[in-house]
Amino acid sequence: MGKIKVKRKSTLIDMTAMSDVTVLLLTFFMLTSTFLQKEPTQVVTPPSVSTQKIQSSNVAQVLVATSANDKDTPKVYISVIGEANPDIPEEGTYGDLQPGAWGSENLRKEILKNAIALYMECGGKDPGITKDDIEKFSKVATFGVPIMKIHEFFTLDQTKQDEWLSDLDRFDSGIPLINYLNTKEKDANGNYVKTNEFQIWMRAIFNATPYDETLQTLNYKMRKTGEGIAVKADRGTSFHTVNKVLENLRTIKMNKFTVMTALKSENE
Amino acid sequence: MAQIEQSSGGKKKKGAQKKMHIHVDFTPMVDMNMLLITFFMLCTTMIKSQTLSIALPAPPDPEQERTQDNSEVVAETKAITLIIDTERDSEGNVVTDAEGNTNDVIYYYCGFEPTITDTKQVVFNDPEKGLKVDNTVKAEKFLGNDGSKVQGIRKVLHDRNVEVLNKLESFKDQWRRGKITDEEYQEIARQVRNDSTFTNRPAVTVKATPQASWQSVISALDEMQINQISQYRIGTFTPTDSLLIVDYKRRNPAE
Repeated sequence: MGKIKVKRKSTLIDMTAMSDVTVLLLTFFMLTSTFLQKEPTQVVTPPSVSTQKIQSSNVAQVLVATSANDKDTPKVYISVIGEANPDIPEEGTYGDLQPGAWGSENLRKEILKNAIALYMECGGKDPGITKDDIEKFSKVATFGVPIMKIHEFFTLDQTKQDEWLSDLDRFDSGIPLINYLNTKEKDANGNYVKTNEFQIWMRAIFNATPYDETLQTLNYKMRKTGEGIAVKADRGTSFHTVNKVLENLRTIKMNKFTVMTALKSENE
Repeated sequence: MAQIEQSSGGKKKKGAQKKMHIHVDFTPMVDMNMLLITFFMLCTTMIKSQTLSIALPAPPDPEQERTQDNSEVVAETKAITLIIDTERDSEGNVVTDAEGNTNDVIYYYCGFEPTITDTKQVVFNDPEKGLKVDNTVKAEKFLGNDGSKVQGIRKVLHDRNVEVLNKLESFKDQWRRGKITDEEYQEIARQVRNDSTFTNRPAVTVKATPQASWQSVISALDEMQINQISQYRIGTFTPTDSLLIVDYKRRNPAE
């Protein structure tokens, strides 16, 4: 019997073409990607026919979450995004920096300073924020702890901070909506108008930038078009709960705002 | 990884340069690229989130509050009130069907609020008030279009705002065929829906029960956009409204 000679074929496959394709795809994804923001909880926004795009810069996003055990109490988190390509801020007349279209970090520093000033003006105790805390605050995208806890929050490491924010059952996660502070204004009966930390934060954000149309500052977007505030809430959350946050916005005359939605076609 | 192969041709001329075939094995490179692609694909949000603009009524002025009632009075013939309710289970989660649709019910009435007697009875079309508009409470659902036919609460609102929608129809057609741009269409739509010569434009008040979901309220606001209704506001849910719902359920027990 003659042996059948099996021709030995090389199993090498030329991967060059494959490699070309993958590199192309990789480049595409790298260029188009905007990273998912880390959020305390996952919320699914409701569908809507509105095609208005979310602002990518100069926007304050208000996240309304609820704990599974207490669906009536909104937990509020705020994330502020400043100008994507800010001009280098000039040293000048206004505090340390010239205000204007600021990058996220400078904007957040200003917001924290404003918020503390307002907080103490409204009768809050000195929260004891250090320079280091302000520095750390400017780096975090989403914040949501009571003002008195900020210092404590930043002494923890990153994972502990995330755990704190995501634990919706903690009483000290989320910005409190309890009216325990007094503003300088008086109501019809001569009593001081009550305010809360959420209102203080929103006012601090409002005051952080000047009103400037050409720069499209956060203040301009909040005051004029309402695009500067984006409220994000889960579709299953009851309106009653979300409305508590909306009422707070309304109280401080920020009655124009946007809500975040997912796209749906008109015929659905 | 990389191999240099000598050509193993049978005969070789002396002095001829050896032919080298260089094989570089790209497999690990491809592996790595695939991993990176997977990473970027998972971390990207391709679709930017959309937003919907909302304008709530300005906060009541404390000075004004003392002197007058700040509730806006809308003409009876224009007014429509929607009360949105969402079905929830005993744990408070929104009930969804197999396709993930929620069960929202919209109770609505036209004109003025039905009269509530001292014994908490609901009286529609109270003869003492001399109403011009039938204010019986009815219920509808959020339904998508069936082909070109509008249905559900959209039909109710559509029929009320038919003047504006008819006028916009031709522009909409042009926009669909690409004759006018999106911005131009939006601008025309804004003008037409605010055109005060259309006297029958409805003024809608949207109210939500405590268990109504955020999604259902957004759906209701969407209907305003779809039907080009310019006058609408979010109202506060009152005990009267809950009485109306209870009364409706008693009258229509089948639902």
